[in-house]
Amino acid sequence: MNCEVCQLKELEVEHFEIREVLRCILHTIVFHRALGLVRPKDVDLELFEITYVQCGDVELEKKIDEKIDHFISWVEKHPNKKSQICLSFYEVKSKQPSWFTNKTERLYWEQWYINLNVTQHPKHHSSKSHHTKLVVDPGESATEERSSRRAMVEASLREVLFQIIKFVNEKKDHVPPISEGVIYFPYEITIPSSSDSAFGMDMIKRMLHSGHPTMLS
Amino acid sequence: MASSHSNTHTEAAKLEQIITEFFYKSLLIILESRSPYVSSRNYSGEQIMSSPSSSTSSSSGVRPRDKWFNLALRECPSALENFDLCRQSNFEPVVIDVILEQKPLDWDPVTFSPKSDLVKHSSSKDKNSFFWNSDQEESGCEAKGEKVIERWFVQHESRKGRDCSSGSRRSSSNNLSALYKKLILLLRSLYVTVRLLPAYKIFRDLNSSGQIRAFKLVPRVFSSVESFTQKDEAEMQRFWFTPVDTSCGRLCLSVLYRSSISDISSESSTPMSPQFIPDYVGSPLTDPLRRFPSLPVSQGSPSSLPFSRRHSWSFDRYKASPPSVSFSPSPTHSESHALVSNPSSRRAPPMSLPPHPPGASLPHKKNTNFDEYWPSPNFSASPSPSPSPSPSPSPPIRIPGVHLSKDLLRSESAPVNIPVRKLAGSPALSCKHNLPPSPPLKISRADISWTDNNMGPMKSGATIEKLYSFGKGDGQKYSGVNSPRISVFRSSSRSIQDDFDDSEFPCPFDVEYDDMDPGSRPESYDRRGNPSDPNEAGLFMNRKSQDAAVGALVRLLKKAPPLRQDIPSSINFSEASRPEMWNNNIQEQNQNKEAVTVERDASSIITSSRLVASMTTADALEELRSYKEMKNLLLSEGGKSCISANLTSGAKHSGKGT
Repeated sequence: MNCEVCQLKELEVEHFEIREVLRCILHTIVFHRALGLVRPKDVDLELFEITYVQCGDVELEKKIDEKIDHFISWVEKHPNKKSQICLSFYEVKSKQPSWFTNKTERLYWEQWYINLNVTQHPKHHSSKSHHTKLVVDPGESATEERSSRRAMVEASLREVLFQIIKFVNEKKDHVPPISEGVIYFPYEITIPSSSDSAFGMDMIKRMLHSGHPTMLS
Repeated sequence: MASSHSNTHTEAAKLEQIITEFFYKSLLIILESRSPYVSSRNYSGEQIMSSPSSSTSSSSGVRPRDKWFNLALRECPSALENFDLCRQSNFEPVVIDVILEQKPLDWDPVTFSPKSDLVKHSSSKDKNSFFWNSDQEESGCEAKGEKVIERWFVQHESRKGRDCSSGSRRSSSNNLSALYKKLILLLRSLYVTVRLLPAYKIFRDLNSSGQIRAFKLVPRVFSSVESFTQKDEAEMQRFWFTPVDTSCGRLCLSVLYRSSISDISSESSTPMSPQFIPDYVGSPLTDPLRRFPSLPVSQGSPSSLPFSRRHSWSFDRYKASPPSVSFSPSPTHSESHALVSNPSSRRAPPMSLPPHPPGASLPHKKNTNFDEYWPSPNFSASPSPSPSPSPSPSPPIRIPGVHLSKDLLRSESAPVNIPVRKLAGSPALSCKHNLPPSPPLKISRADISWTDNNMGPMKSGATIEKLYSFGKGDGQKYSGVNSPRISVFRSSSRSIQDDFDDSEFPCPFDVEYDDMDPGSRPESYDRRGNPSDPNEAGLFMNRKSQDAAVGALVRLLKKAPPLRQDIPSSINFSEASRPEMWNNNIQEQNQNKEAVTVERDASSIITSSRLVASMTTADALEELRSYKEMKNLLLSEGGKSCISANLTSGAKHSGKGT
């Protein structure tokens, strides 16, 4: 089985936009991979005029929020850096236990790379609240600049969502069959860890787990 | 052989069923996201864990049809109806037009105005075929315009020259599973896509509460339509979903949509979203009290006032008064969450117009609203209409008990200061006996007291205790008589409160004094006589009683010590405890010790204050003249006496000297 990889368009976001953007993208992807019986839930973004869809699973929502929190913590420690979040779907294959390998093996059949460039607005005071944005020089030009920037981010986010839709439409054959009673495929969200090199190590670990020669194709 | 044939037949039947259900599901997804008020928005329930293959609906709220493609959606009646109409055994294509329909002129004659010629064209060949055409003349639908903003195509393209039932059983079964999985994926992406297209924004705005639009979304389902004109199609964009192959063809799904719908909807939308107007005429920001039709500027001529907010004052309640343009939202929005200027900080509907639309018709509309309303400056905060038996043509204006009590409480605490602080500074409150009974706390108290001491016909026997005893007979009587009065009172209280906040804000009733000789003001306060012209004063009082009372209150409160810090604490008291609260406030506030004194010995002090305050312009002028005469007389007498004294002293001196 091939592992399909989708590199999503890079988004330039500010700190307070990270949560909403990531929620939107991650849930949209997972919704397309929640092929069990779902009752979709529409969620309106607060910062942008976009409505995305969740599959309605509370546990899933909680796990995604946790990962986003971890990512935000990482971003706070590594400001003004480009980062990548990897959402992977895998199958669990039982393997004969041996000295070197585990009993189960993860076969990644799809990976989504969400590329973010978290910028810090020059006049923005770091604040967790995405509703309040302190501006040192609140002039009309600053307001216009903010609104135009916001519109750009919204347009980019919409592009990313359409990118997801197109990818889902174009590549269907690699999706495993639906299991009974399973709502969504097993997934894994990988965020950059404390050190930069660890991110690469995570990728290597994944390769060892999956046994695929190449993961980043 | 027979079994394989039957299996093939079964597989074909299953395929047909899958395709049929796909048509229905796609129709449902599109229609439920384009038909306002019938949507699965926020229709998230608990996660359904039942197996999709289960035929039972034992899961909570999951109908059998929900389980198709593992997507449980709210039932959409229009989808069902249209599906029944369009369903064909040979899978004819289904076209869904999402039409932006403007509401007819007569729905909102003031605000609605079609911008261009819109026509609904129905061809004989294709029933229910609609498209935008700006060249045709209007045909009986002058008030109604339609524009197709989306067109969805759901079709199964049969593959000719190939037997659908061919293939082994295993491959057919695998094919069906694979097909089903792919259709699930397709419908998932369809569900997400319909929410990303521009038309969804309109749908969401229409669905949101409190939004009244001049347009609506109307999805219509056809089996065939005429194509768009080249021009129209050039304005639209197409999005193709990847077709899914079936054993005898492929299922195709695509959409033509307009990417710039916001322009269209903003043209047709009305500025009717309830919003706060902070700088409405009458607000403290725009110096409203100055503009109140208070005591006349000169000789009691209300028409000389530059601006009239009579609608907020019941002194002129017998005729509808032209309202200000930039007032609170229209009556239709008064009950629709007008307290919420924006449902969400960002979620200002893109199609909503600003609170001050440029249309010329809108002010007229606002005038109508004001005539219907009996608004007050604080109506923007609580714009709901109150039940009003007043003669003015007003719809019921609801006076929320809380708000009323708040305002009354706020104003009721204020009157405590009135007799102490504002006695000297009260403007000449003219009207006594014809003040509206309610609001009882300020106006009527002044009314009663003044009248007791100044005028004849008046509510006699009224004391401060009686006035403060709201909830008793008087208060109930007052509150039940005329709610507009209450609203007036409320507005006055609010304006008084605003005066606190705006120290530079002059009392409107100073207008008459400003126009007079400023030097006459102190004398006017000291005067304790009746108006020189009782008839004139009486007429004047009749018309300006409430204004005078309010003006007096304003002045008193303006000059009162800062009592307002304690006012919020008084707001929490209920109406029943108001008298006690007032008494407590009086006793608690050191600044109001004089007020307490007045309360205990109110009649004499208030009487004198009211007497002092019951000056009219004419009285003041006359007083001025009299003082001038006295002054001249004194000066002349003084001069004479001085001369005589000098003469006398001179004579004495001369006498002595001699």
